[in-house]
Amino acid sequence: MRSIRQRPGRFLATLLSAFLGAAVIMTFNSMHDTAGRPGVDPVSAETLRTAAGVVGGYGTLLVFFAVASTLTVNVRQRAAELELLRCSGATPAQLKRMVVGEAAVVALVGAALAVVPAVLGGRLLLEVFRDSGQVAGSVDHSFGVIALMSGIDITLLASAGAAFLALRRATRGRRRHGRARSFLAYGALAAGTAAVCSTFAFSATDGALMAPPAYGAILLSVGLALMAPRLLEGVLGRLAPGGASGWLAVRNLRQRAGDLAGILMSLILFTAVSTATLTMQAVESDAVAASGLVKSVDAKNLETLNFTVVGIIVVFVCVMLVNSLYAATTYRGREFGQQRLAGATPGQVLGVVGAEGLVLTVVGLLFGTLAALAGIVPFTVVRGDAVLPEQVFGVWAAVASIGAAATLGTSLATARRVLRTPAVRAVAATA
Amino acid sequence: MFRNGARRDHDTGPAPEALRLVKVTKSYGTADSAVTALDGVTLGLGRGTFTAVMGPSGSGKSTLLQCAAGLDRPDSGIVRVDGTELTGGSEAELTKFRRGRIGFVFQQYNLLETLTVVQNTVLPLKLAGRRVDRARVRETLAAVGLGDRLGHRPDQLSGGQRQRVAIARALVTEPRVIFADEPTGALDTRSAREVLALLRQAVRVHGRTVVMVTHDPVAASYADSVLFLADGRLAGRLDAPTADAVAERLAHLGDETTAGV
Repeated sequence: MRSIRQRPGRFLATLLSAFLGAAVIMTFNSMHDTAGRPGVDPVSAETLRTAAGVVGGYGTLLVFFAVASTLTVNVRQRAAELELLRCSGATPAQLKRMVVGEAAVVALVGAALAVVPAVLGGRLLLEVFRDSGQVAGSVDHSFGVIALMSGIDITLLASAGAAFLALRRATRGRRRHGRARSFLAYGALAAGTAAVCSTFAFSATDGALMAPPAYGAILLSVGLALMAPRLLEGVLGRLAPGGASGWLAVRNLRQRAGDLAGILMSLILFTAVSTATLTMQAVESDAVAASGLVKSVDAKNLETLNFTVVGIIVVFVCVMLVNSLYAATTYRGREFGQQRLAGATPGQVLGVVGAEGLVLTVVGLLFGTLAALAGIVPFTVVRGDAVLPEQVFGVWAAVASIGAAATLGTSLATARRVLRTPAVRAVAATA
Repeated sequence: MFRNGARRDHDTGPAPEALRLVKVTKSYGTADSAVTALDGVTLGLGRGTFTAVMGPSGSGKSTLLQCAAGLDRPDSGIVRVDGTELTGGSEAELTKFRRGRIGFVFQQYNLLETLTVVQNTVLPLKLAGRRVDRARVRETLAAVGLGDRLGHRPDQLSGGQRQRVAIARALVTEPRVIFADEPTGALDTRSAREVLALLRQAVRVHGRTVVMVTHDPVAASYADSVLFLADGRLAGRLDAPTADAVAERLAHLGDETTAGV
């Protein structure tokens, strides 16, 4: 407990992801509460339940990943402190209690903070549903037991589980270069390909047409994300940039490919999921508009859900990306100091960081885009007649610029801050 | 930003100085809590000399080295390396000043973990945008006894080997002055002796100027002369030192009031 009070900054990222996660889960689960109120007609209730079910499930997964990513970084940063505690007689069980306990407290605080925004968010969401006619205008929002309990429980469980895993990975020392990982990667790729191919089995007007390619794209991106370190190494083998900064950047990346996998993973997932979903939704909406039909409630539900899901994913992945990049860059203060003592100007160090960020961004966007296209192309081939919809360019440009801005912006801004410490002190600090 | 100081003629004056400090003062902290680390230090070191700087903890040794090496800016006074005056400016300007003029050897080696022995050695040249002479780099590494470890990474080397990489890295840019901050502080006695012999060789064979901060009388005995520092002031000098003489002098440093060199 005391360690939280001493260093509130370090828990900020974890708190933020717990807070966001809890807010999202509570917002959507309050739809369950709303649907359960007496006097709600069946169609409205159904809409509300679907929304809550789908996004609630997504939310749980995302909270878990986001909290796990921030906690892994956190535990790694504190490796020295944990080692010291171990040396001064703390048993592994005590350490576990400490780290998991801290995570639980942070999760509780995050969930508590999230209650008020979730109530407001729930009202807003219901209004959106009512405005679009998906839910009867007479339905009132209710924030009840289901929302509160599920929000707190899921956040708490996800945090504690993530902390447990993060600690186990940290104390195990060397990561197993898992066969399990490659198995999962190939499995995801195979399932993704199958899903994408099955798109062709549907007809153009099928209500569920969007599901197989969307899930296919997501699965493919998960597969690629799991293979991120190997992909990065493959790309780096072909790179030979000029200039001292580029030279150093490529050598750094080659050595740290494994560490950077997390960042690359977030970037690939972010690009693939948002590009695929948004493009397909745009194509679908345009196709419906062109045919002159009025959208059914189901289609509208799907649209709202798509946008919400993408919005949530974007926010979460950005938090994860920014957090892991921030932590990874802060951690490198000593390395930057050494570069400066070897004769690098601050500008050159920033150049190294920028070049690394650029390679990561390009690789992440490239593979993310590939996964997205794998989903989009079958969809448009079946739905319309074109192979590549024109909507994809605008969506991709927006997604790519957000991804690039988050990656490059965070690493450069953090490096700039780290560089403010004089080189001699930066080298001595963590020696 | 840097102006060339007036160099003395070879006929009239003494040998050109590799390093000259005039009334250098540096204090840390603000107002009441300020601590004076250097209090008007004036000294000059000839080219091709090996000097050790000694003193108790807090005597200003490290500050002296950092100010002289352009890692830190003195509050007042003049620092001149190889006849060129160091006059502040941004960190980028200080870095460019250090390149080619100054080499470093640190207690903690400060090698980059992601680079191999060869890559670490050529890093300063790369950063300065200078041409890398592979054969010369190889030769330098062979001279420090690492000819067969070119592709190793720092974590595959012993402390002594790492420090020898650091020395090769400092030598390869052919600097005027090499600053060594406790270069043997983390080494066993045998590795320490090898490192000190290499530093002495850099002076004797390659004509470099070496300034070494140390608290070890044995390390100091490898130098041509020892400068003693106490409370931010120079407190004496010992030429052709022996370890015993240095230890003796160090023990009685508080008693003396000698100043100036």
